[in-house]
Amino acid sequence: MTVQRVNKILLIALLAVCAIWLIIPFTMAVLWSLVDPSEPWTADKVLPPVMSLFRWTDMWENSSLKSALIASYTLAPSAAILSLLLALPTSFALGRISFLGRELAKMLCLLPLVVPPFITAIFFTSLLFQIGLSSWRPGAILFAHSVLFMPFAIRILTVSFEQVRQDHIDAARDLGASHWARFKVAYLPALKPGIFATLLIVFIQSIEEFAIAFIVGSPDVVTIPTLLYSALGQDYVRPNAAVLSLILVVPNVLLMLILERLLRSANPTLSSGKG
Amino acid sequence: MKLRRGLLIIGLLTPGLGLILALIGTVVYIAVSQSFGYYSLNGTNEFSTEFWSKMAGRKAFKRSIQYSIYIGVFSAIFSVALAYPLAIWLRKPFAGSNFIGAVLKAPLLVHGLVAAFLFINVISYHGILNQFMQWLGIWSEPRRLQNDPNAYGVLILQTWKNMPFALLLLTGAVQSISDDVLDAARDLGAGTWDRFRRIIAPLTVSGMQAAMVIIFIGAVADFSFQVIAGPTNKQSLSQLMVSFKGRGDWHSAAVVGVSLMMIALVGSAILAVVARMVMRGRIK
Amino acid sequence: MVAIKIERLTKKFGDFTALSNVSLDVQPEEFVTLLGPSGCGKTTLLKLISGFLEPSEGSIKIGGTDVTHVPPEKRDTALCFQSYALFPHLTVRENLEFGPRQKKIPASERKTRIDDVSEKLDLTAQMEKLPNQLSGGQQQRVSLGRALAMRPSVILFDEPLSNLDAKLRDQVRIEIRRIQKEYGLTAIYVTHDQAEALAMSDRIVVLNNGRVEQVDSPELLYHAPKTKFVADFIGDANIFSGTIVGQKGENIVQVETAIGTIEFETPTAPTSKKVNLCWRPESAVIGNTGIKAKVVHRAFQGHFTDLMVETNGTIFRVQAKRVEAQEGDDVQLSVAPNEVILLDQSA
Repeated sequence: MTVQRVNKILLIALLAVCAIWLIIPFTMAVLWSLVDPSEPWTADKVLPPVMSLFRWTDMWENSSLKSALIASYTLAPSAAILSLLLALPTSFALGRISFLGRELAKMLCLLPLVVPPFITAIFFTSLLFQIGLSSWRPGAILFAHSVLFMPFAIRILTVSFEQVRQDHIDAARDLGASHWARFKVAYLPALKPGIFATLLIVFIQSIEEFAIAFIVGSPDVVTIPTLLYSALGQDYVRPNAAVLSLILVVPNVLLMLILERLLRSANPTLSSGKG
Repeated sequence: MKLRRGLLIIGLLTPGLGLILALIGTVVYIAVSQSFGYYSLNGTNEFSTEFWSKMAGRKAFKRSIQYSIYIGVFSAIFSVALAYPLAIWLRKPFAGSNFIGAVLKAPLLVHGLVAAFLFINVISYHGILNQFMQWLGIWSEPRRLQNDPNAYGVLILQTWKNMPFALLLLTGAVQSISDDVLDAARDLGAGTWDRFRRIIAPLTVSGMQAAMVIIFIGAVADFSFQVIAGPTNKQSLSQLMVSFKGRGDWHSAAVVGVSLMMIALVGSAILAVVARMVMRGRIK
Repeated sequence: MVAIKIERLTKKFGDFTALSNVSLDVQPEEFVTLLGPSGCGKTTLLKLISGFLEPSEGSIKIGGTDVTHVPPEKRDTALCFQSYALFPHLTVRENLEFGPRQKKIPASERKTRIDDVSEKLDLTAQMEKLPNQLSGGQQQRVSLGRALAMRPSVILFDEPLSNLDAKLRDQVRIEIRRIQKEYGLTAIYVTHDQAEALAMSDRIVVLNNGRVEQVDSPELLYHAPKTKFVADFIGDANIFSGTIVGQKGENIVQVETAIGTIEFETPTAPTSKKVNLCWRPESAVIGNTGIKAKVVHRAFQGHFTDLMVETNGTIFRVQAKRVEAQEGDDVQLSVAPNEVILLDQSA
């Protein structure tokens, strides 16, 4: 049997697994989200008997979905920008200045990734209580997200700063460019993809983040993941959970696709490393 | 001059690394302090090992430790074991390999909670899996698969969510082995298994360790999969910690949290060492 | 008995034919070089012999056994890679031991082999080092040693010297030949460097576009190339096509070419009137008779002077010792009839 034959058979087998892996679960979710409350979808029917967008409009109008969406989509871009701004100086130092302990500093930047999120969430809340800021929930979540997702920002931007070419900077100086002009011609082109990638990654992480939003935010702040969590837990109504799941997953997929393209054009090695 | 440079570097590192260290450092410090009775919210503030000794006597605590380690270890092993053959298969591009890679990595884009919902939707009492098995005639009546006592559901979810990550790391590692090196091993008489054991495994061991450790830390601290799909008679450490905190018992929550950190730390070190020993493949 | 017998070997990749209808016999202990420009099929042929590719048609026998469909790990061949392909995580000793271990050679026998190889290749001081701690030349020797430790009946080389600097290359070239003779190995050596091929080989197989152009000893290839391609690829050659205009004596034929009449010696007169001829630049004698030409370019090379000369608008090359003519001067030159080579009519 030739390699091509083996690959073909494996391919077909794998596509079958993929159907189970992705297609069936998502189809089921879509179908459940379309179940009309007038007639339940019982086990003996292949498709829901009555299909409508009732659940979607109902969730939109009569649940905290709207406020959750507003919370999540205000929080995420703010966290992305804040994280980027906080990460820039450190990335500059790690990427362009060589100093004793630079490798150690790079390692320490990854710390938030190894501490389990619920520990961070709980004892960050405890800290907020200690210093009397416990009512300051949205700000606390924003702060926590910006700092906890900074490892991604620092890592990406450090690589970007490393890629700025010294001869471009020197050439700009040689031609008499001012500080700002030098930044524009030498730094900005190399940094741009990294900046976009950082914003997107922190955005996605923040939209998805559950532990901090759940522990620090409850009960005042509701984001999409915490809403979904309660929809899967205490107020479990399957069609509603289906609607929420789909709302949470679709923008993610789109953003990730953009990110993948961006990372590939910016730096192929980056897309293959999280930690 | 030297001083100025030093100050400049520290100044640059402060908003980024500085904040990270401050936040994580404080969090860990508070967790450890609270576990020994400090920073109490009701005023008493003195050193005591009472919370540790009380916790150590609790059956639920021991069960949680065992259970979390079980989930962490097996999630890491299953994810890596599944990702290895796929990474080797996808080492060389072929028609459709990009597509397969994309499909396999798709779970990275799906939020864990969504994954959990999709999963319980499929395995629920009247879900498609039950209907399918009945239609095949294998099962005469629907079975209760959700929240199974052995937490297979959680393991499946963890593997589903983490395998793509292991695949990402391992594909990178496997692709960095040159064709010539594998061909040389073949030319010297090494069959498929020997090539894996003697060449691929030892050369990708650091990628595999990274995958193992990161997946282990994530899975050992699992909360949402456990709550939604896990067995109802067991609690993971995160779940236990959250429930103590919910009752306002910060000191007990801190004891569980510190234990969880220690387990994550010690466990990943052990996993990394064991992985290296198993995968070494040195001739000696 | 022949060591390697290749019969009508063809390899296709989709629509592209990489190797077409190649037959070759290699004698035991012979050193055969596959020579040709990149893309000529020499590496494909080597991969077919080592087993990394399966032919589309034809067969390969090694030591009388048909191995056409035997995978490389089961073949009695050992390959020295261009990139050396040393196992980066194993020490020199472990690299050398890899093959014998796979073949389940007993430990005592393994030790004798490794000691022998490491001594012959001067690697004894390097045995516990990792490949990245070695110089390029040492890595090359480990790669050779790893193949030798297999005691293969055929050893294959894929451009093993291309990553070495010029001086080292000469040295390793001699060493490879010495080792091959010492171990009595049958060797197949791939290169695109004609000087290397001429210096090392018992026989050279010249490949072009997936076909064998000529198989001969280095001397014959140089002095009696059969085709335009071979004449041009090995050394420098002046190639002319022309028409037979007459005969002088018993076996001297006169040919009218773009630069005038050229005579060549042949035992049997060619059947066709149209012929292709070639001669080496150093065969021309500058004197007072023969073809008149103008020097258009002169380059002193030390042991000879390289001239580009022009006659009737055709430029060709002449090499001679002690040339007084400068650029722009007129010279006269002649080529002895036994120095002119008749090429195949085709192409």
